[in-house]
Amino acid sequence: MASTPSSLEHLILNIVPSARDDLYLRDELVLHCKEILNSHIGENHDPDLGHLADLVKRQLLHSSPSGSAANLKFTNLLSRLLDQSVLSRKHAAVHFLYALASSQTPKPPSIMPTLLPSTMVPPPSQRRPPISSPTDTPLDTLPRGPSKAEILSEYRKKAGNPRLPEYLLLRDTLYLLQGISGKYVRFAQQDAEAAYRFIFVEDSRYSIPEPIKALIHRLSEVGYLYTRVDNFVRGREGAAAVGMIEQSLCHHLQTQLTEYYRLIAILESQMPPPPKDDLAALKQEETGLTLRRLDVWITDWRLRMRMMSVCVEGARDAHGGALVNLIHSYTDNGDPFVRKFTDQLLEEVSKPFFATLHKWLFSGDLYDPFNEFFVAGNPALAHLQYLHPSSIGGQLLDEGFGATDNEEGSTRRHSTLQLWQSKYLFRKDMLPMFVGEAFGRKIFSTGKSLNFIRYSCHDSDWVATREKMTDTGGTLKYSDINGLERSIDAAYQVASQRLFEVFIDKFKLLDHLIAIKNYLLLGHGDFVEQLMDALGPSLVRPANTLFRHNLTATLESAIRSSNAQYDSPDILRRLDARMLEYTHGEIGWDVFTLEYKVDPPIDTVIDPGCMIKYLKLFNHLWQMKRIESTLGQGWMRVVGDSRTFLKVPELEYQWHQIRLVNAEMIHFIRQMQAYCYLEVIECSWKVLMDFINKKEGDLDALIDAHRAYLDRMVKKVLLISPKAGREEVLLAQLRDLFSLILQFREASDNFYNFCLSESVRRDRELDAERGVYTGKESEADALPRSVIDPVREYGTTFFEKAQILVQHLQVHPDLDCRFLAVRLNFADFYRKKDKEK
Amino acid sequence: MSSTREADRISSAQQTLDILHEISQLLNTQLDRETLTTCVRMIESGVNPEALAAVIQELRREGAKQAIAGSISRPGSR
Repeated sequence: MASTPSSLEHLILNIVPSARDDLYLRDELVLHCKEILNSHIGENHDPDLGHLADLVKRQLLHSSPSGSAANLKFTNLLSRLLDQSVLSRKHAAVHFLYALASSQTPKPPSIMPTLLPSTMVPPPSQRRPPISSPTDTPLDTLPRGPSKAEILSEYRKKAGNPRLPEYLLLRDTLYLLQGISGKYVRFAQQDAEAAYRFIFVEDSRYSIPEPIKALIHRLSEVGYLYTRVDNFVRGREGAAAVGMIEQSLCHHLQTQLTEYYRLIAILESQMPPPPKDDLAALKQEETGLTLRRLDVWITDWRLRMRMMSVCVEGARDAHGGALVNLIHSYTDNGDPFVRKFTDQLLEEVSKPFFATLHKWLFSGDLYDPFNEFFVAGNPALAHLQYLHPSSIGGQLLDEGFGATDNEEGSTRRHSTLQLWQSKYLFRKDMLPMFVGEAFGRKIFSTGKSLNFIRYSCHDSDWVATREKMTDTGGTLKYSDINGLERSIDAAYQVASQRLFEVFIDKFKLLDHLIAIKNYLLLGHGDFVEQLMDALGPSLVRPANTLFRHNLTATLESAIRSSNAQYDSPDILRRLDARMLEYTHGEIGWDVFTLEYKVDPPIDTVIDPGCMIKYLKLFNHLWQMKRIESTLGQGWMRVVGDSRTFLKVPELEYQWHQIRLVNAEMIHFIRQMQAYCYLEVIECSWKVLMDFINKKEGDLDALIDAHRAYLDRMVKKVLLISPKAGREEVLLAQLRDLFSLILQFREASDNFYNFCLSESVRRDRELDAERGVYTGKESEADALPRSVIDPVREYGTTFFEKAQILVQHLQVHPDLDCRFLAVRLNFADFYRKKDKEK
Repeated sequence: MSSTREADRISSAQQTLDILHEISQLLNTQLDRETLTTCVRMIESGVNPEALAAVIQELRREGAKQAIAGSISRPGSR
């Protein structure tokens, strides 16, 4: 600036020739000019050469008649100027020329030149407004008065209160972007997150214009979001037991933040050093960073930061799969930028999820230290995972003895089904939405099957299976959902098939089912007959006189004397006879039961609950069998013995009646049995076999199929009616009928005994007539009513009760039961009597 | 060597000035070559171009005033 005064004088002398003589005028002009130069006029103009060139061209187009030619020339000149190396402030020079030129434009319309044609200088009144025009560009959003001149005067007025230079604010804003308070703008209440606000430090020396404040507010939003994301990442870094998905979210966020730091660093390097004065500031503005440029640079990040902040917010209360879900919900966004960002994020965040999924799907291991997977291990059953193989063998041996061992065994066996059903839990809220619930179930089942094969079945072929499966697998990724579904399907099929094979081939599930059907459901007729014959006499005694070892011995002999002996010893050794809990007054028939023991892992299918149902069925069928054999014996007596030994002709009618009732009862029990065996058990068995032969579905399906098989049998054999509260009405009636039959049998035995003694007496009379003494003579008894009445009474009661039962069965909702009614009510036997009444 | 470099510099400065002068003519700034040189030098030394333009305007106005005053007073004195 040293040369300025002399240059200025030179300029003054050049333009105002009269000043050469007039020293006073010259000094005045110099002072005036200096004042102008030191003012802030035009300090806020846009330092952009391209923009300036545009302005100049526009001006040329407006002013000169051959605008386009002038334009071309100007462009040419400008490019040549830019090639020159001498000038350091070409832009300022061009600007100067432009300012001068634009000040000339209003000259033609002005009046002064016509008044004063001799002067080249525009009239003073026209001078000021044109000066402001170069800065009054549309890009310029800074507040100013209606004209540059007014601002100039304003500045002059309050020279002591200038605006805060932009580079200072810029530096502060860059700090804000990093979450640091600046000198002039700072965060208020940094620790209370809810009240994040900015405070502009009030300084009497400077003022910050409102629009700049608004701009800084906009920019500092990014800073605020950054602080939140950064706090989250830092907080997770320090915390223990952060879920893997969260860790990976943090990792992704950290990468994003690193990119953000890079941007900030670049922006910071673009930031001009504090200029020495205003003119230098103007020079730097050509290339340096401004708040508005910063805004443009940051826009992209504002969106990104918002997304990240939302994720962070969600991560606070969501966890694991739910977090993935949350992020996934943002992928349905119409904005491609947001979508892309979320996809990226999800790809990254779901990596640990897929790692866990892979492990679960292909090796059945749940590796989920932070409970993030949608499959959760049941902590109560965790210790059961590694059952030692020897414990299975040992358990069978244990069970041979005493009730205590038995109970212990049953609790332990209970655990396998429990293991299957509740070792792993399906958590729907943790299931990522992009997987879908059906697939989630499949994944769950696959992993469970594998785990089961591995730990509960001790499958030695496990390695081979796994290898086969990992071949079909490949890598699982978020971006490849179709591939994922394929892999899941393949893995599911292989695992289910394997489990099926293991159950049927290795653990001989089918053999066990057949054995249960043969023994517990009395499928082996010869065996049952033998057992009944051997046990019959001892079972009529009171329950407390029976001993288990006697029962087992009898069972043993029954097996040995029937075809059952050819069954595999593995099955036979599971068969056991025992007594149920008995109360006072019960006899052996009430408490005797056969038992079939299964061990893990078969008890997954045939669980203790099923076993109880089997025992219930056995009890019923066994009772029916007992009635049948009792009636058989009774029939032999009434048909054979009564004719052979009894010579009491006047009682022939009674006997006929007894035979009729007996036949009716036999018909009844035969139909019952036929119904149970042919229509219920065999039909259900067929359905079950069809399912097993198809080999579809997983272990759950197998369990369900078996349950359905068993439930169907229980329902139909026991004539359970679906009506609530009346389920066992028919069963009670049936039991009633059974006991009636037994009582009838007893009564008819009494009658038989009476007849027998009567016939012996008559024989003795005949002997006495022939003179042979065979015993003391006794009086001929009239037939006592106490003997014959019960027989008749039981007969009619049986008929009435059977009638009621048939009537009930006829309206039974189950078709098979109704059909049973038809069988029992053969030739409308029961109904016809009803009508006669 | 230094002399040739000096000569180069001078010639390029000359060229630059030529170009600027042409632009100035194109824009009809009505600056003569000498004034332009002075102005460019001032700008190079860091003067605010807009302020300088204002100065030029001001001086021209002053010059015109003086000229009018002169033309009025001169006939009067003569």
